[in-house]
Formats: sequence, C-alpha cells, structure tokens
Amino acid sequence: MKLRDWMAMAAGATALMAVAAATPATADENKLDELKEQGFARIAIANEPPFTAVGADGKVSGAAPDVAREVFKRLGVADVVASISEYGAMIPGLQAGRHDAITAGLFMKPERCAAVAYSEPILCDAEAFALKKGNPLGLKSYKDIADNPDAKIGAPGGGTEEKLALEAGVPRDRVIVVPDGQSGMKMLQDGRIDVYSLPVLSINDLVSKANDPNIEVVAPVEGAPVYCDGAAFKKGDEALRDAFDVELAKLKESGEFAKIIEPYGFSAKAAMSTTREKLCAAK
Amino acid sequence: MEWDWEFVRQIMPTLIEGLKITILATALGAVVAAVIGLVFAILRMTAPKPIARATSFIVEFIRGTPLLVQLYFIFYVLPDVGIRLPALVAGVIGLGIHYGTYAAEVYRAGIENVPRGQWEAAKATNLTARQTWIHVILPQAIPPMIPALANYLIAMFKETPLLSAITVLELMNQAKSIANSNYRYIEPMTLVGVFFLIMSLISVVFLRWLEERYSRVEQR
Repeated sequence: MKLRDWMAMAAGATALMAVAAATPATADENKLDELKEQGFARIAIANEPPFTAVGADGKVSGAAPDVAREVFKRLGVADVVASISEYGAMIPGLQAGRHDAITAGLFMKPERCAAVAYSEPILCDAEAFALKKGNPLGLKSYKDIADNPDAKIGAPGGGTEEKLALEAGVPRDRVIVVPDGQSGMKMLQDGRIDVYSLPVLSINDLVSKANDPNIEVVAPVEGAPVYCDGAAFKKGDEALRDAFDVELAKLKESGEFAKIIEPYGFSAKAAMSTTREKLCAAK
Repeated sequence: MEWDWEFVRQIMPTLIEGLKITILATALGAVVAAVIGLVFAILRMTAPKPIARATSFIVEFIRGTPLLVQLYFIFYVLPDVGIRLPALVAGVIGLGIHYGTYAAEVYRAGIENVPRGQWEAAKATNLTARQTWIHVILPQAIPPMIPALANYLIAMFKETPLLSAITVLELMNQAKSIANSNYRYIEPMTLVGVFFLIMSLISVVFLRWLEERYSRVEQR
C-alpha cells in the first residue's frame, strides 16, 4: 500500500469516528418502568470492601450494593447486576449508558455533582493513609506528601484520594495509580509507594487482611473532611433518582438503613445528618 | 457527546508527556529484544545440547504465556525475592524479553535459510569462522529478517499500553487519568488512537525504506 492510501484510510477512520461521536444520546423518560420490565438494574461497583465487595463465589455484597439492592427492590426492580469498574471510568460509563447507577462509595464532590445526579447521602467515611510502621516520612496530610519530594502516594485511578492528592499539589509523577487494594498493599510493602490512601474503613479492611506488622494506619488524614457517597444516576434520569430518594428516606426512617450499613462499620447517623446539597456545595 | 477542540488543546501537553514514555519504552524494549533474541538464537543453535534444550524450553515458555502475566510477575512477584525494579524498567524488561523470544525465532530462521552450500563453500575457501559469519552468512541472512523484525517492532509498539497495568505513566495511562478526572473519553482515547496510528505509519514508511536499502545490498 502506498503512503497516500494509508493517509486516505486514516482520514476515512477519522470521519467515521466523527460521525459516531455526533450521534446524540437519547434520554429515557421512563427509566424506572424500563428497569422494572427488565427486572434488574445495572450498577457499577469497585470491589473495595466494605463499600463494595465481590465474594469468592461471585456474589456482590458491600454496604453500597446492599442499600441499592434494597431500595431497587422497593421500587419494584427485583435485582441488581453489578459490574466492577475503575472509579474514574464509572461516570463516563454511566453517561455512556453502561450502568443505570453507580453505588460504589464514589464520594460527592462538587465536580462530580455537576456531572451526575446524586441521591441523598448513603455512606460516609473519612480518608486514611496506610504507611510503613512508625511513619518514617512523618506524613499526616496530603499537603505533607506534596511538601516531601521523596514521598510517593498510591491511590485508585479517578478516586477521591487521587484527586485530593493532586489538589494538594502532589505532582502527577508522585501520584501512582493503583489498580486495586491488594496491589496497593503489595506496592506499599515493596516500598514502591510510601503511602496508600483510601477511606478509613477500606484501609482498615485491607490492613487487617494483610496482617502485616510493618504497616500502620493514619486516620483520619488531617485537612480532609468526611465525605459521603450517594447512588449516582445519569443526568436526565432525575425522575429515577427522585424515586430512589423517596425509598431511601423511608429506609432511613424505619431504621433498616442502619441495619444494613452498620454491620459494615458505617455510621447511619453520619449519612442522615447531612444532605446532598451541603455535600455538593462543599469545597 | 461532542468533540471539544478546546479540551484537546488543554490535554495535548499531558498526552505528549505520555507519548514520550511510550516511545522510550518501545525504543529501549526493541534494543533489549534485539540483544536477547540474538543470545537466545545463538544459544539454541550453537551451545551444547543440554543448554540448547534449556534455551528452547525457556523461549517456548515465554512465547506461550501472555505478556500481561509476565509484566505482573516482574512487577509484583519479583520484589518478593528482593528484586525491586522501577515500573518503567520492569516494563522494558518485560517487553524486551517477550519480543526477544520472537526475534530469536526470526534470527534462527534467517540464519538457517542460508543454503548449506554457502557454509561449505566458505570452509572450502579457507575462511575463518568470523569471516564466514561477517562476509558470507549474515549479509544473506539479515535482509530477509528485516520485514519480520519490523512487524514485531510495530506489534511491540502497539502493546505498550499494557505497561499501564504496572503503573507506567505512558500514553494510555495518561489518557486514562485525563478521562478519570474529566469524565470524557472521546477526546483522550481518540487522540491515543491517532498518535499510535501516526507513529505506526511513520515506522512503516521507515521500515519499507530500510527493507529496500538492504535488499539492494543483497543484489549487489
């Protein structure tokens, strides 16, 4: 093939992509009816216990999917089908129509609130660090990591911790994107990263599983507030979100909400004492 | 979803940082592959039987397992025995060894394709081993190897996104991180595709030129 043919092919491919990109996404008016008919809702999870977990038998559990399953059941949607996704890929996946909701401990932050329609708060937690015993670099906050040119932090890609680290001024090359919890602990043990940051309950879960006396936890991280997640819906699915909220509020009132999430270590009171508005407005 | 040129402009510098790492990983990986491939080929063809057998086994083993598994092994398992390589080095070694085994086969085929008569003629004219290799065997063996080696080079280049699995901040990983913080995949992923396409096209043209050049040497 000649060079000119190659170029023509490239141009053709680009044109195709442009056409595909221009096709508008249609918003569903009766999303809930559609889900009822279908019999299940597709949710995005992350496999980060205790927020979301997939057992050895493939069964999906964790506080967030359990709450979602219950609420959807009350809405008349029999079950939830979960797919594991990276945090950063969840919102684009939602927008692309791959998931009906995100229930993964994706904490509310203003820029996320702008991208999706959150339900009222469900799971609240502070941020924590796992690091080498004795905290040799003396790291207590994301700012400390930014100030120490040798400190490397590991965090899930597109997760809240990655954003917090970048916002605190840690340069990109010292924020290592860690694919999953086990790799994070391994990288910490191997000394590839100095800090592994996740919410308090997730870190505690990982550290207790790793059972390594050379790892210790700093919690909560100084200067990082308590964040809460909510079930996230696609913009345009506000009707579904509102229906979800109604059932969620009933669940909270009846005390069943606490029964679901407290065994996982989450505080129902924390979620009930705050609102979406407050969290989405918070800096 | 619409294409946003402003966003493209904004993310370009980050992607170019990633592209540099991708090219660096490919270039270093190619050098490692070329050298390791040669070592494997020579061991397989000239070493004593047991060593040649062992080498064959290793080559088959590496060729028969996925690169991604090998990368995970180098990055996550080797530290358990005290070998802790930086992510990029681990990636280059993984790419180099994996493609080295393919290159070894190419070298072997190239050398074995030189007719026996050439070896005999070299011996008959009293050439030394060194002269035989440099003046008789290699000039005939190398040109046919070039297209095959070039294919592997391009294949290796296109496999570098696997390095994102072991936290190397190459082109794919940078694009993912952009998508993660902006909730947009269309521009970063399209640009990754375009970058790879451009680089592949350039390499194809360059390798065609190499091929022609070498075949001319052969005809001379």
